[in-house]
Amino acid sequence: MKQIIAIAGTTIGEAIRRKVLLVILLVGLVFLIVAPSLGALSARSETTILRATMLGIIQLTSAVIAIVLTVYMIPNEIERRTIYTILSKPVQRWQFLLGKYLGAVGALALMMLFMTIVMIAVFTGMQNGDFGRAVTLAQATMMFFVQMSLLAAVAVCFSTFVTPLVNFFLSGGIYLAGSLFAPMFDSLSKQQNTSQFSKTVTWAMTTFLPNFSYYNVQNPLINPSSTIQNPMSHYLFATGYGLMYISLLLFIGHYMFDHREV
Amino acid sequence: MKSKSSRFLVWAFGLFVAQGIFSNAVVLPKWQKEFAPKGDIFAGSGLSPDQMLFALGGFREMVAGILWVRADSFFDDGNYDAMLPLIRLCTILDPKQLDIFSVGMWHIAYNFTDEGNRSDRRYVPYAIALGKEAQRNNPDTYEPFFETGWLWFNKVDDDYDQAVKNFEEAEKREDMLAARKNLLSVAYQRTGQIDKSLDHWYSQWDLQDKNWRDTGDMIPKQQRDTAENNLDTLIVRMAQRGYFAQKRGEGIQNYDLYPPFDVGFAAKAAVVGPGILKVDCNWNILPAGTRIRCILRDADYPTAKFADQDWDRETGVKLDPPKDMTWMQEAIYIKNRHGMRKIDMTRDQTMYPFTKDKYVLEFYWNPRSAAGFMQDKLGFLGEGMTDKNYLNLQARQGQRVIYTSFTLTRDQILRLGEWASKVPTVQTPNYVDPNETLKEKDDVILVPSLRNDKKG
Amino acid sequence: MAAAIETQKLTKSYKSKQLGIVNVVDNLDLYVEEGEIFGFLGPNGAGKTTTIKMLLGIIYPTSGEGYVLGKEIGDMDVHKIISYLPERPYYYEHMTGTELLRFYDSLFGNNDPAKVQRLLERVNLAADATKTISQYSKGMQQRVGLAQSLLNDPKLLFLDEPTGGLDPIAHTEIRDLILNFREEGRTVFISSHELSEVERICDRVAIIHRGVIRRQGKLTELLKGGRVEVEAEGITKEFEDSIKIEGAIISLKDGRLIVDMPEEADVNSLLDGIRSSKGSVTSVIPRRKRLEDLFVETVRDSSRVSMAEGGVEA
Repeated sequence: MKQIIAIAGTTIGEAIRRKVLLVILLVGLVFLIVAPSLGALSARSETTILRATMLGIIQLTSAVIAIVLTVYMIPNEIERRTIYTILSKPVQRWQFLLGKYLGAVGALALMMLFMTIVMIAVFTGMQNGDFGRAVTLAQATMMFFVQMSLLAAVAVCFSTFVTPLVNFFLSGGIYLAGSLFAPMFDSLSKQQNTSQFSKTVTWAMTTFLPNFSYYNVQNPLINPSSTIQNPMSHYLFATGYGLMYISLLLFIGHYMFDHREV
Repeated sequence: MKSKSSRFLVWAFGLFVAQGIFSNAVVLPKWQKEFAPKGDIFAGSGLSPDQMLFALGGFREMVAGILWVRADSFFDDGNYDAMLPLIRLCTILDPKQLDIFSVGMWHIAYNFTDEGNRSDRRYVPYAIALGKEAQRNNPDTYEPFFETGWLWFNKVDDDYDQAVKNFEEAEKREDMLAARKNLLSVAYQRTGQIDKSLDHWYSQWDLQDKNWRDTGDMIPKQQRDTAENNLDTLIVRMAQRGYFAQKRGEGIQNYDLYPPFDVGFAAKAAVVGPGILKVDCNWNILPAGTRIRCILRDADYPTAKFADQDWDRETGVKLDPPKDMTWMQEAIYIKNRHGMRKIDMTRDQTMYPFTKDKYVLEFYWNPRSAAGFMQDKLGFLGEGMTDKNYLNLQARQGQRVIYTSFTLTRDQILRLGEWASKVPTVQTPNYVDPNETLKEKDDVILVPSLRNDKKG
Repeated sequence: MAAAIETQKLTKSYKSKQLGIVNVVDNLDLYVEEGEIFGFLGPNGAGKTTTIKMLLGIIYPTSGEGYVLGKEIGDMDVHKIISYLPERPYYYEHMTGTELLRFYDSLFGNNDPAKVQRLLERVNLAADATKTISQYSKGMQQRVGLAQSLLNDPKLLFLDEPTGGLDPIAHTEIRDLILNFREEGRTVFISSHELSEVERICDRVAIIHRGVIRRQGKLTELLKGGRVEVEAEGITKEFEDSIKIEGAIISLKDGRLIVDMPEEADVNSLLDGIRSSKGSVTSVIPRRKRLEDLFVETVRDSSRVSMAEGGVEA
């Protein structure tokens, strides 16, 4: 366990110093800060649009960070041969992989927390101190965090056997597909005139691919007029689902990594 | 190694199946019920594939927000055509953003107008369809019901039963604003449901009075005073008509509406130039404030009937109204027993394409949409009104309205063929040119004298 | 003496599109005794690093067996008492020397700041302990690498090209550190192609070329077979004819004799003979075999062999 924590800690330290990630984070923060002016352009639903935009910026920035952070993580260790000094110590490959993953998730958590704080600050400033309302938006960023942890697990899993560039598009593609198929399945299953084949395909995709749409819970927070019965239970179940899928991905990743020449 | 591989496969398969079962059995149903996006992005949203991917990638609300800002800038520029698809997209992307629905409905219904500020009513059924869609997507909040009710109340301005239905639905929602409840009382009144209107004003008064006493806030007090004023006015109006006496079974029935008054309606329309209609109406009530509805439409306009159409017919929202159809609707303002309007339809050919051969010109008046003093004279249902030529009991169920129509051909309207040099004119047989009898100047309003020695 | 490393027919093959199956390491039989400094020599691409990675369990052998400190390779317990310094290593640049060592220390489950400090002093980095690795020179990076390899007080160290790319002063520093290891009783396995370094510090060497061990043994034994050149003046033809030394090359011109003979031949009796025949010895030059000669000879021979066998020229 000490080994895993040590590797995770180092990974966080390295990640929060990576210039490319900091630039992405900075761009996200700049957008968050100028978001109120975007909202102000719309005289009618200023705060709704502000909420939607801010959460969207955080989600998009986090997704890019999650992928960029993780696709290079393992290949870099191999290329720089740091992995050899680590694996020649009493560190199992699964401990290494898990440590790297947890480090990535930790770095993500820090960056997302930072963005959330900025969002709350900006929103509170905008809303004449409606701090409580701003904090409820953090529910969405919490769910985004689970979503991005799942995305990071996808990228870490792939990083054990494909090149970073391929992984970038593969993970991005899985993220899109995993966000797309559940609404598509939901939409198709409500229509009578859809072919059984399309329904089955979308059902299979919804079931097999990691379902990222479970974490897009921002709609009721953006439009508070809609009420959700006990959202907390959904948050918990969706988090449970995420942990299961992350375990699966890390398990596969470990198997591939264990069988791979480094 | 082999046994390690098979052990891995067993574990991976187990985890895989477990996540699938957990996902489908536990998480998916709740997600579908409460979080799944309700707008149908797939069925003809008009989203380009990249927009679709972006939207479905979890960024729908942000995309909707950005598009909405864009739409808003179009709105400020008056570029309404460009705004329309954006509004539609926004409502699909984020079907919970009620502001977009509300503004969208209002925009579609009101903002497309011709040079004479006549709005393009071919859009109205789609505005109402958008309202219905907003209701389906947001069944727990009052706003889509209230806004749809408003369209019926103010834009359609004829079928107040629909307004009542929607306002009643709005009022069932917990988040209904107290001040907005007033409109239901007015809508009841227009449908002739006076008791309900009175009860509703009373309950409004009670509610706002309680709110005021509970909070000490001045706004509920103002609301209470508004309710009180309206209530007083209605009571006075109804008392004057003998409504309460009638309910108690005292005195004569409808004494102030009896005997029915002949409104003496007459109309004339002349095509004074290609696509230019000059409409004259006579109306035997002084002094001012009546509006006669005048409609020129395709003879085969879908669902058209008695200066009306089935505004509720559309279930899906379409951005493009039927571009090959014509529906011109104008209100002719009556002053000094006469109204005249020149309607130029040549500058808005997309609104008035005149692609058909036959057209119907309709004149219509109903008491429900009329001003209060007119309603007091003629009753909410027209019970104090008659017209020896054009009283119509079929056009609106349970109401006495004025209705007449003419047919015109495309050649006549556009002054083509044999009509190039002739002025096509239609008129009711009883039409008398006001210049023959009324010599008053246009800017003088005649006020009938209450003294017996003068004729009113 | 017990074996620190022992391999039997250790083989690593890769599939190559052009060449089919390539044995990067081919039936390697290696024996390293405890407490010695073992030089693992070979040209670039000979299979040195692959062998080390197999011994460390970082990659898996295709066939054959290997034991490190008596345990099968890949055993995690062994990792607690061995260490590895890779060729041109890279360390997390954002860390200071102290942080880096503490990180590696924690990989053993330890947290001993005093030990970290001691090691930094030992590799002469105490003054630079708070600088980040990115500010370190190559030599400093190599020294901090050595320090990390000593964190677990290892019985066996694998050093892959430890002096590669370093300046002469850094060379000397590293060499002195390695020589200290022997005094401390550690086994050191050095892979290198810098022969002069190896010759100075190694007890035994193995020469690997194209994945195959070509020579293996004590350096003193492998370098046996030097020659001695004796030069004398005033020598008669009779005396030249009387010289009977196996393997000697003899030449006489104008009374000047040059005898080039194997090192193990009886030089003393030749010198005695010259003196007794009134000749005078002008020089005796021993020509010892150098590791470089052995290496070049071995590599050339093995290339010739593989050419003859139809092997592929690398």
